[in-house]
Amino acid sequence: MVADTRDSPRWDGTTPRLLDAGDVQQKVRDFGGKEVLVDKDDFLWRPEDWTEDVAMALATECGIDTMNDLQWQVIRFLREYFFYHGRAPLNRDIKAAVGISLMELECLFPGGIRRGARRIAGLPNPRTCSG
Amino acid sequence: MKKVLMKVNGRSRQFVVEPDRVLLDLLREDLSLTGAKQSCDRKGQCGACTVIVNGKAVRSCLQKVANLDGADVITVEGLGTPFNPHLIQEAFVLSGAVQCGFCTPGMIMATKALLDSNPNPDIDAIKRALQHNLCRCTGYAKIIDAVKLASLFIRGESTPDAVRPDPNGPKIGVSHPRPSSMVKACGVAQFSADIHLQDALELAVAHSTEYHAKILSIDTSTAERMPGVIGVMTAKDIKGDNSLKLIVADQNVLAGDKVHCLGDSIAIVAARTRDQARAAAAAVAITYQSLPVIKSPKEAMAQRAAQLHAQLPNLCFRQPQIKGDAKKALAESAFAVGAHFSTQMNHQAPLEPEVSVAYLEGDGEDAQLVVVGRSINIHSDLAILQTALGYENVRYEEAFSGGQFGQKTAMLSEAIAGAAALHFQRPVRYVPSLAESMMTTTKRHPFDMNLNLGCNKDGKFTAFDIDFIVDNGAYMNIGTVVCLRALRMLSGSYHIPNINALAQLVYTNNPAGGTARGAGPPQIAFALECAIDMLAERIGIDPLEIRRINSLLPGQSISTGHVYEQWPFPDLCAAIKPSYDKARKAAASGKSGTIRRGVGIAAHSFGIMSPGDAGRVAVELDPDGGLTIFCAVADPGEGNDSMLTQIASHLTGIAMNKIRLVTRDTDHTVGMGPAAGSRMTYVAGGSLILAIEQLKHAMEETGARTCEELKKAGKPTRYMGSKKALKEGGLDPETGLGPSFESRVHSIQMAEVEVNIDNGEVRVLKVTTAVDPGTVIHPQNLEGQLEGGVDQGVGYALREEYVHGKTIDYVTFKFPTIMTAFEMESIIRETPRLRGPLGATGVGEMTMVCTAPAVINAIYDACGARIYDLPATPEKVKAALAKRR
Repeated sequence: MVADTRDSPRWDGTTPRLLDAGDVQQKVRDFGGKEVLVDKDDFLWRPEDWTEDVAMALATECGIDTMNDLQWQVIRFLREYFFYHGRAPLNRDIKAAVGISLMELECLFPGGIRRGARRIAGLPNPRTCSG
Repeated sequence: MKKVLMKVNGRSRQFVVEPDRVLLDLLREDLSLTGAKQSCDRKGQCGACTVIVNGKAVRSCLQKVANLDGADVITVEGLGTPFNPHLIQEAFVLSGAVQCGFCTPGMIMATKALLDSNPNPDIDAIKRALQHNLCRCTGYAKIIDAVKLASLFIRGESTPDAVRPDPNGPKIGVSHPRPSSMVKACGVAQFSADIHLQDALELAVAHSTEYHAKILSIDTSTAERMPGVIGVMTAKDIKGDNSLKLIVADQNVLAGDKVHCLGDSIAIVAARTRDQARAAAAAVAITYQSLPVIKSPKEAMAQRAAQLHAQLPNLCFRQPQIKGDAKKALAESAFAVGAHFSTQMNHQAPLEPEVSVAYLEGDGEDAQLVVVGRSINIHSDLAILQTALGYENVRYEEAFSGGQFGQKTAMLSEAIAGAAALHFQRPVRYVPSLAESMMTTTKRHPFDMNLNLGCNKDGKFTAFDIDFIVDNGAYMNIGTVVCLRALRMLSGSYHIPNINALAQLVYTNNPAGGTARGAGPPQIAFALECAIDMLAERIGIDPLEIRRINSLLPGQSISTGHVYEQWPFPDLCAAIKPSYDKARKAAASGKSGTIRRGVGIAAHSFGIMSPGDAGRVAVELDPDGGLTIFCAVADPGEGNDSMLTQIASHLTGIAMNKIRLVTRDTDHTVGMGPAAGSRMTYVAGGSLILAIEQLKHAMEETGARTCEELKKAGKPTRYMGSKKALKEGGLDPETGLGPSFESRVHSIQMAEVEVNIDNGEVRVLKVTTAVDPGTVIHPQNLEGQLEGGVDQGVGYALREEYVHGKTIDYVTFKFPTIMTAFEMESIIRETPRLRGPLGATGVGEMTMVCTAPAVINAIYDACGARIYDLPATPEKVKAALAKRR
């Protein structure tokens, strides 16, 4: 049976906007006067552009008003690990370094480690496709 | 059952087999001899499984073991080992005939059988002997070279030592044997399907039989009761977000409520054997409510067309590019041509089909999911797997990979294997059939292009106007990236002052487009380079001359406004001119009769390192004086292992056999981005140099000469280098202007063809490529990329087209064989690039970008038939000839 085209989402009353280059490429964002290149998911394009002020701005955006010591410890570990290994640590590595359970670790940042802490730490978006 | 006695690699064995057991399966599964490969669904189409039986080369997938009582079987493992290789294996390695290596064992066995009976074969004899063996990487040129070299070795007229470059000699510009080539030639390199997993379950997938439908129900009860079945899982059993998002979250690992294309994965069956799993997958009962099927962008953009995805309209991406005033310039041009061009959907057709294995390592909360597959971007795929499967502790391992040509920018089979390993808590192996593999992997996007190109009375280009509509297929993958790449390289090798372009990307229910060698520029180059020939004819200028006089010059800008400091394209026009003049002269006498001869050229300047791109490579000085390089640099055949090893040895003076590569798993490598976009030599090579410079600086600063001394001086022994693109940022959404690729590799290709005007058949006689890739690190690897790419380009021009549901194997794909191989010549110029590693760029994709238009222009030159719609099948050539008459 062929369904009526009203089954398709176009007929639910919303017409989504199409994309252009501005939606899928890097863009410059201003963090308290510092211009930083970010990707389409607001991950820093260059980890070297990170500062504590940028981290605080990103943290505020995801609902953290002030970062506590444990959160800063995780952020600093993420950066140190990245600049030595060239990749983000797995949670087991963070657990071993910080000494808290995986469950506590995931609850430490809205979006967990991968979407939350890594973004605040200025690490690159794990899903990148250069070319 | 039948008892069979036979000798395998000199050892007498007894087997008791079912009548339908084929030799290939017995070798691989019962004897763990994995040198013979399975690729073509046991149809005898590919020759990757070739072994010698009673002195003759046979395709082992066609040999029933029951008929082999008393036979003497030799496999590639019976010839030699990496430490004691056979002369033929040496010849393949030294000739550069081993790229991905998947076809190599079969090629070597066919060569062995040939040389045993004829130690001095001519080219025709070589072609006849290897006609059943397919290769997608080499264009067969280096394979023919290898057989010739092997025959010299066999006859005692040369030796491997006489041919092998001195390992202590220069490292740059020398074709030292690839580090990985001998294990591939000996059949001991483990591809994903070769990995032994104890008690592994075999997987099969139930695919959608509809192009566009709601899933009303999935009944797995019958399948679950079938012999050998351990279980069946569906989307609801996946704990993560079930999404394969690269840019847009529009594709699921397993479809739960809706399918968008024939072949979408719906359920996974795990069983004790592959046959049991496949039988049960066929028994999964799925009921659908059909939805309107959209088969073309035109239908998708029509008023009231069904919208395929909730989050984006069917016309999902639109990007103009405006430089100057093309409309005005065209109106004022002395000459202009306009035409409509289109290109087909095509498959990358790697010889190794999709395959992945997965297992859990360790127990409890610490268990790590290990997924082994053919990825070219292991850290990105790791991230996708973590989110899709809802499991954080994952390690991706890249096995040896049988080519990919861009296909593996996308991922599916790994997610299926990973999901099943987690759900069933057992090791699993997913080996899709070739037909399934071709159906579920991404394809080259079809382009539909309307263009106008103008020039002044002197033949100088004035304006280029082009609208191109890209069939995205059912899922995004990297569709927007393909459009942006096309725009960033839109004006090719030329200075065109006025540009008006519009890229539109449209969802349909066709197979999803993805990355395919070149990814965007080959389609645009086909249209532009044909239009240039049309314009040249209008104004009476030679095709080579019009390209030369319109070359961009340093300081001028391309279509995006980006200005280049180096542009050695005019030198290539000069370099190819003697060959061009000779070919034109030869063709001039072939313009009458049934067989007409023609010459065509086309050019491109291909972008290397996109704005904002960055690589990372770490090096560590080893206690024994060696150097270990840590970087996720996939090498599905290009020779990245040579590149890293030779650059490192050149810069450090450390012997090549003490340069160690750690490139294949996410736990130990530095993220490097995809082995795509021809970026690895430039970006990874550049990052490697920066890492080594830091190491050397630390050693010079402290006077340390060893790892131990460096440690004693308080310095690290490990350093990371990161090459970053000089420019960053995107194209302007309104104008499409902005930064383009950091460097360019330039090429101009000439095709010489014969056209039979009675039946429309085209035979390519020769393709000559003049290329300037900057510094050449490994000449054989460069030539290998050129030859393989040209062969693919000719296939794209003349034969290959993927038709969903109909293209199911190599015969229906019209895969190139050694019988369709043609002469190739490379003219190489080395203008060192300002920011290239040691002056190098990259060539993996450039090599096929201008092949199709060169062939199409040659057909026109031969007989006056202009083909606007690829591929130029005999029917289309005949139709074009009839129209002309």
